[in-house]
Order: sequence, then structure tokens, then C-alpha cells
Amino acid sequence: MRISNDEEFKAALNELDVYQQRRVAAAFVESVLPLCSDVRVNAAVTAVKHPGVTDVELATAYQGANSARIESFTQCGKETDWLAQAGHFVAKAAQCCVKPVEPGDNLAWDAAMAARMARACESVAEGSGTRNNETEKQYRILYEHLNR
Amino acid sequence: MSAGLSRAVNVLKEVIDAPIASYFNSCVHCGLCAEACLFYTESGDPKYTPIHKVEPLRRVYEQEYTLLGRLMKMVGLVKPLTDEELGQWQELVYDSCTMCGRCSMVCPVGNDIVYMVRKLREGMAISGHAPDGVVAATKRTVEIGSPMGVKLPAVKAQVGHIQDDTGLEVPMDQEGAEYMVLLSSMEIINFPEYLSAITRIMKQAGKTWTLCSTAFEATNSGIQIGVSDLARVIVSRIVDGAERLKVKTVISPECGRAYTALRWEGPNLIGRPYTFKVQHILEVLDEFRAQGLLKTQGFEEERLTFHDPCQIVRRGGVIEPQRNLMRMVSKNFVEMSDPSKYNWCCGGGGGVSANEDAEEIRLIAFKRKKAQLDEVKPDKMVTACANCRIVLEEGLEHYQMDLPVVGLTEMIAEHLVESEPGSQKE
Repeated sequence: MRISNDEEFKAALNELDVYQQRRVAAAFVESVLPLCSDVRVNAAVTAVKHPGVTDVELATAYQGANSARIESFTQCGKETDWLAQAGHFVAKAAQCCVKPVEPGDNLAWDAAMAARMARACESVAEGSGTRNNETEKQYRILYEHLNR
Repeated sequence: MSAGLSRAVNVLKEVIDAPIASYFNSCVHCGLCAEACLFYTESGDPKYTPIHKVEPLRRVYEQEYTLLGRLMKMVGLVKPLTDEELGQWQELVYDSCTMCGRCSMVCPVGNDIVYMVRKLREGMAISGHAPDGVVAATKRTVEIGSPMGVKLPAVKAQVGHIQDDTGLEVPMDQEGAEYMVLLSSMEIINFPEYLSAITRIMKQAGKTWTLCSTAFEATNSGIQIGVSDLARVIVSRIVDGAERLKVKTVISPECGRAYTALRWEGPNLIGRPYTFKVQHILEVLDEFRAQGLLKTQGFEEERLTFHDPCQIVRRGGVIEPQRNLMRMVSKNFVEMSDPSKYNWCCGGGGGVSANEDAEEIRLIAFKRKKAQLDEVKPDKMVTACANCRIVLEEGLEHYQMDLPVVGLTEMIAEHLVESEPGSQKE
């Protein structure tokens, strides 16, 4: 299946079951993982990638990723450190990988969006404009996953 | 007397106007303001009694503007204000006051204690006794346009992201649009879902709207620190942008302080009426609802409660729109005790969350919100202020309460009936 735009990307993600969505979401997070040094985020990704992960392990990983997300918010009135903020969005993407599912959720899409925000924050921090190739990279990750 | 103290006393003398004089004369020392202040109720320390927080202002009033006070000062029977005392008062005026206005609301003689705190903050700021974090935020707002240092490229980055996410255009500098949408720095940095929600809602409502490249920021830290000149600069930037683009309405975002600063204090700060209307996003959404322009489907299945941001509800007067909107997407909406204008603050407004010195007392004060939540046991909390949202999340995390917090605009957008590209849930 060819993926060349977000409409196709989202539709393809929607077709995946929750287990597959978590796996793809983990791959999206791994792509931006160097932007976050929080071990809880890494642990969430590792948990999702484990084939026999249990609900209890997912719940524990969710707690860790959620704490990492909350602790890395830029608080009102504080000067923004865009690289640190990139780390916040990586934590948010990781949280999406392990969150409990609700009807209508598209975990992988949410993780992809947060990962793109992380990359955008990195671009702002570097002063290199706002464009980056994370979107195309995600298309490739999904394509490879679907054709595995 | 140091130069800083001398300037502070002069400023305090200047800010004491007829209302303040009458407030000091009217106070009956009943203590009701103490019971209304979460910093007092949760710590039990009487120093946090709201009227006590403005004691330096009262002393200047007494010594400068009352006959007995002036006589006593002349013969050395009263102690003049010192720089050290102002330094000690920083904790009471900034760290433990969110200017939530609950004390003003319950005062039986109608004293607006928040107004007095704001005026006292002017003197504190002049004498160098405002917290470093709040001073730096104000400086960034004036120099850069944002208290958190957000510049236009960061806004454009988010715009690009939102356009990818929604498949819809986010207009910038569109002259003649009906609405000009403001953002708080917090929404640009932490909550891109807010702009995403606005984009989708405006599309459904069929309204023209725009961001403004020279006035995207709504937050007014000049109000927080208590410096009217700076607050005026920040308001003027928005007014100039709105008038340049000839918009009919400026929408204040999910930020409490931004709304009161722009809606209620702005015209007085710039000395003339606006040529446009200012509405909070909740008011706009409720208008769309009433006009049949906001079409939603489905209901939240969980038990929801709403945290009322003080500046929007108690100080801003926006009370029913959020309730109408909650009922639109929830059949299980439960109010906390002391709802709407009586609600308890999150504990982080008025610059408190930007103030590192205040962290400990802020978490103590959060026990009030915890008690409210323990009582109604919701599955999810909804609010309409980005600062409240983070303060609430941090408090919940600190007290190990597993409770998601979401923005109301974002939640409404999740229920939109959408049929074209850009829809999230169909």
C-alpha cells in the first residue's frame, strides 16, 4: 500500500488493530527518542515492543510515561527551552503508545502527531526553520511495517 | 530610606485612590476573607489572611492620608515601612496570592481585596520585590511579545503542524476576517490541540477567522506583576493588530488572566473603547451552539467535572457557556462543591506557577482541589485555562490521583460532526 499523504497515512493506521497500532506507534517514538533522556519514556517503548507484554506492564509503563509528560511541561511564565519541550512531546508520544484504549482512539496517529511536534520543537530550537522530514519518515515506517 | 523604597512608597501613595481608602475604612475585621482563601484554609497559617497581605499598603494609607496617622508619624509613634518588610511581604503578595478574587467576593462590606493586591504589587515591583520569574516573564512579553519567549517562527511551526493534522488552512493576517484568534504561550508550547480544535470548529461554523503575526499572544504578565504601563503595551499590541486587520471580534483563548486583562481592564489601560468586540472562546462556542452552528455527535461516557478558572468565571463573568457546552457532550456531568463563581482556584494563577519560590505552598493549597475531587470522584476533569490545566495535572500527579485533564474546546472538537478531510472521528 502506497502512503504519500496524511489522509492515506491516517486511513492505514485506522485499519490496524490495537496491538499493531502500539507497535507502529513505538516505532514513531523511537525515531525521535534521542530528543528525550527520560528513562521512563524509553521503558514505555521497550514494554510495547515486547511481544508478550501484559496489561499490568502496559499500565505501569503508562504511569511512567504520563509522569514524564507532566514533569516536562513548560510552566506558565517560564522561558521556553525548545529542546526540553521536544522531550515533552516525545514523552507524550510514548504515553500514546501505552495508554488505555477508548472508542474512537487512533493511538498511532496521536503518537505520530506528538512525535512530529517533538521534531518541530527541535527545529525551532536549532533556528533551522520549521520544516523537517519526520512526516515522510513516518510514512516509510508504516509502509515497512505493513509490508513486513 | 533607599531609592527603591522611596520609589515604592511614592507609588503606593499614588495608587491609593478613593476605593482603596474606603476599603481600609470599611474593613470590619470579620475574617471571612481568610476562610475564602485556599492558602489560609489549607495551611491554617493566619499570615495568609487576604486583608493582612495588603498590610504595607494600609500602613502607607494610614501614615499619609489619615490625620491620626500623620500625627503619630510626626511624633514617631508609628514605624515607617522598610525595605526589609517589603521583602518579607513578597511571599504574601506573590507566592500565596493567585488574585483569584474569592476574598473580594465574600467580603460583606464589598472590599475588592484583589484590587488592593494589584495596587500593592505595583509598589513591590518598583522597589525590586517582585519574584525574578515573574519579572523575567514580563520583560520577555515586552521585548519578544510572549512571557515564555515564543516568537513567530514557533507559531508558524505549530500552524504547519495543525495544517497537517487537520488538513485545513490556518489563516494568518487575513484582513477583514470576522474573528481574530489569540493564543496563550502555553497553548503554542504545550497544547497544539487547542489551535487544532479552533481550526476545525471554525470550519464547521463557516466563520472567517485569522491569527495575527504581530499579535498572536494573549497573556498579559503586566497585569500579573502589577505594572500598568507594561500591561498597556501588551494590550496595545493586540488592539493595533485587531484594528489593522479590521476584525469584528477578538477571541481570548483558554487563558484566564488574558481574558480579564483584555476584556475588562484593556479599554481603561489604553484610555478608549475598542473598535471590536472581545469574547472568551467559551462565549463564542456557546453562541455557535445557540445559533445551531456547532453540531456535535455522541456523548462522553465517563463521569466529568469542570474546573472553573477564576479569571474567566469569578472575575470574568463567564459562567453558563461552559455548562451549556459540557451538557452538549456529556450526560454524566457533575459539579464540584462550591461551583461556578464560588469555585476554588487551582492554586497557580496570578503568576504563582511562574514563581519557583511558591512551589511548596502551591502544592499545600492544592489540597482544597483534591478534597473537592475526592468528594465527587470524577473520571475526567475538564477546564478552560491552559495554566490551570498544567497546575491541576501537577497537583494530581503530586497527590497520586489518576485523573485525566482536558480542555473544553478540544473536547467539543472531538465530538464535531465532520464529513470532509480533516475529521478525526466520523
